[in-house]
Amino acid sequence: MAKVVGYINLHSDISYKGLTERRPVASVSFLGRYGIIDFVLSNMSNSNVDTVGILIKEKPRSLFKHLGNGNSWNFNSKSGGVSLLYNEKYANSPMYNHDINNIVENIAFLEKSKADYVVIAPAHIITTMNYAEVVDAHAKSGAEITMVYQKINNADEAFVGSDFLRLKGKQVMEIKNNKGNRKERNMSLETYIINKKTLLKLIQYAQKISSFFNLRDTLAYLCDERKIMAYEYKGFARCIDSYEAYYKVSMEFLDMDISTQVFKSTWPIFTNTNDTPPTKYLKNACVKKSFVANGAIIDGEVDGCILSRNVTIGKNAVVKNCIILNGSKVCAGAHLENVIIDKDAHVEKKTELIGEDEPLYVREGDVV
Amino acid sequence: MGKEIVAMILAGGRGTRLEALTAKVAKPAVHFGGKYRIIDFPLSNCANSGIDVVGVLTQYESVLLGTYVGAGTKWGLDGNNSLAAILPARERGGVGATWYAGTADAIYQNISFLDQYDPEYVLILSGDHIYKMDYAEMLAAHKEKGADLTVAVLNVSLKEASRFGIMNTNKDGSIYEFEEKPAKPKSTLASMGIYIFTYKELRKYLIADAKDENSKHDFGMNIIPMMLEDNKKLYAYEFAGYWKDVGTVESLWQANMDLLDDKELDLYNIKKDWKIYTEDTLSKPQIIGDEASIKHSLVTQGCIVNGEVESSVLFNNVYIGEGAKVVDSVLMPGVLVEEGAEIYKAIIDEGVVVKSSDVINKEAKEVELVSDNA
Repeated sequence: MAKVVGYINLHSDISYKGLTERRPVASVSFLGRYGIIDFVLSNMSNSNVDTVGILIKEKPRSLFKHLGNGNSWNFNSKSGGVSLLYNEKYANSPMYNHDINNIVENIAFLEKSKADYVVIAPAHIITTMNYAEVVDAHAKSGAEITMVYQKINNADEAFVGSDFLRLKGKQVMEIKNNKGNRKERNMSLETYIINKKTLLKLIQYAQKISSFFNLRDTLAYLCDERKIMAYEYKGFARCIDSYEAYYKVSMEFLDMDISTQVFKSTWPIFTNTNDTPPTKYLKNACVKKSFVANGAIIDGEVDGCILSRNVTIGKNAVVKNCIILNGSKVCAGAHLENVIIDKDAHVEKKTELIGEDEPLYVREGDVV
Repeated sequence: MGKEIVAMILAGGRGTRLEALTAKVAKPAVHFGGKYRIIDFPLSNCANSGIDVVGVLTQYESVLLGTYVGAGTKWGLDGNNSLAAILPARERGGVGATWYAGTADAIYQNISFLDQYDPEYVLILSGDHIYKMDYAEMLAAHKEKGADLTVAVLNVSLKEASRFGIMNTNKDGSIYEFEEKPAKPKSTLASMGIYIFTYKELRKYLIADAKDENSKHDFGMNIIPMMLEDNKKLYAYEFAGYWKDVGTVESLWQANMDLLDDKELDLYNIKKDWKIYTEDTLSKPQIIGDEASIKHSLVTQGCIVNGEVESSVLFNNVYIGEGAKVVDSVLMPGVLVEEGAEIYKAIIDEGVVVKSSDVINKEAKEVELVSDNA
């Protein structure tokens, strides 16, 4: 495979309500033991892209802690690794804090790289994409830019607000916003392969058109005059673009037919270790249809839930269709349905919390 | 600058009484407690006690143990001036190829390693005990007494005492006599096989012992009696808490079961922040199926449970099929229990497939070990 360098693009307007109040989407806990970013990072690692720059938009603290030196994702710590690219200058200027300005601000990362191709992918679209295959197709096509898309038939529910591609053969003719008014769309997975030299020119060009232009705007502006190839990805893809989508996609994984599409022995999902002990089920535990991370202590009823590390479920507590994040405690006799509990929160004895239309949210560290 | 203290973990033994479990791995590498290997306990204790150079002495089946310990990264022992070093029995210059003839000989053969760090004290540990202990406190006691050797002891019952090496002490804790497995014990202070030596003294005695052709080159049988004879300052350091030598299939099973009832080994760091570090496995969270039932058990990541699990310990990537029943058992990594199989009071070794028609140990009198290496 040709030499490839990766960017994980965290510049987007997506938020998950309270979950992203103090952390970026990338480090929101997902499926009990992962951060959202682990999936794209693992794809990079499994595709042998071993030098990865993370374009951080905001609130980097929890992300820095999660990533450490990148060892957990199996990048060679000497020849490759993870670079955290942060644009201090525009951190407080929303219009200027976009991916192109971040690449420019941290241009040394790209200039020093000996790569021929750059793969750019977001964190919030969960896939198991092999970028090596996409790069091969890109190289063979002779194009300078390739955009990855997926043909979906529920565009009225999923990927609303994302871009879809209007294609002519294998060429992208137009990039437009999905308003959710049609079911069948070729959705952009916001994953691009660009020749390194082209990208260096592209970012200069973009700044001449508009200082507010991000990468997506630039590609949309250019696609009728430049040849942009489309690559169809047929594997697993989910777009977690809202609080509701976060809950919905999480719950979807409880279906084994879904989760086995992602958790395959040939495509490991890496994350950092916390050395938490195994989960302890006590005498009154009754757990069904759930994902449970290590370190939990369970003495109540759990059904259709995702429990993260070190969660405690007290005696006779009933927890249904909930997502409970690291270190939270649900005390004896509490009754929770359709609730997302952020980290280190404390649900007192016999408290009843039931989410109606959308899951109820309990903030990090709150006592309820 | 020399290190104040270097730890040496004796990890060369086979542990024959663990039967098939040690057919292909050294005892310190045997799995324990749902996610650990036995050696994680002394290594984590070292890391948590602020000891950052640890030698691991290997002999029997040293490859798997050696790759597991690696450079010590799993326990955070990988700073610039910190490491875990694998010290196998080997060919040495001027001596030739030798095995470790006994516990003292194993340390003797690594004097050059110790000299390199020029430590004031050396902590000798065994690689096959389950316990949490702050060695820094023991070192403080050793320094306070100005001892040449401090031996950690556990106060056992009089009945048990004849199974251990017993330290007979004066009121001030100084040791005047050591008796190996005495028929009529005078004291109940059992040696835990944990020693802190002042290195200058240790070095002298190891060299003297190596020259003695009649010696068994063992700390308990040779070094300690020699030091007592010379009126060296030997003290007992009493340890209170959970400690278990998991030397047999029965005791390994029991130690796993102890975890279910919080018998003083606090894996969840409720009383004290003292994590046991271990390998991270690439596995998904545990997935509990629609028809599953799990009670009074430890289950770790990567497991898929669709059947009934009671009073058991499940390691990484164990699969329990629908309608299967697992009671009072320890299932090592990768065990696959097919639909409808039943297992009672057993240890199922790594990777074993239990067929759907199998009913293991229904009588459940003694612990049954099921292994492909049997």
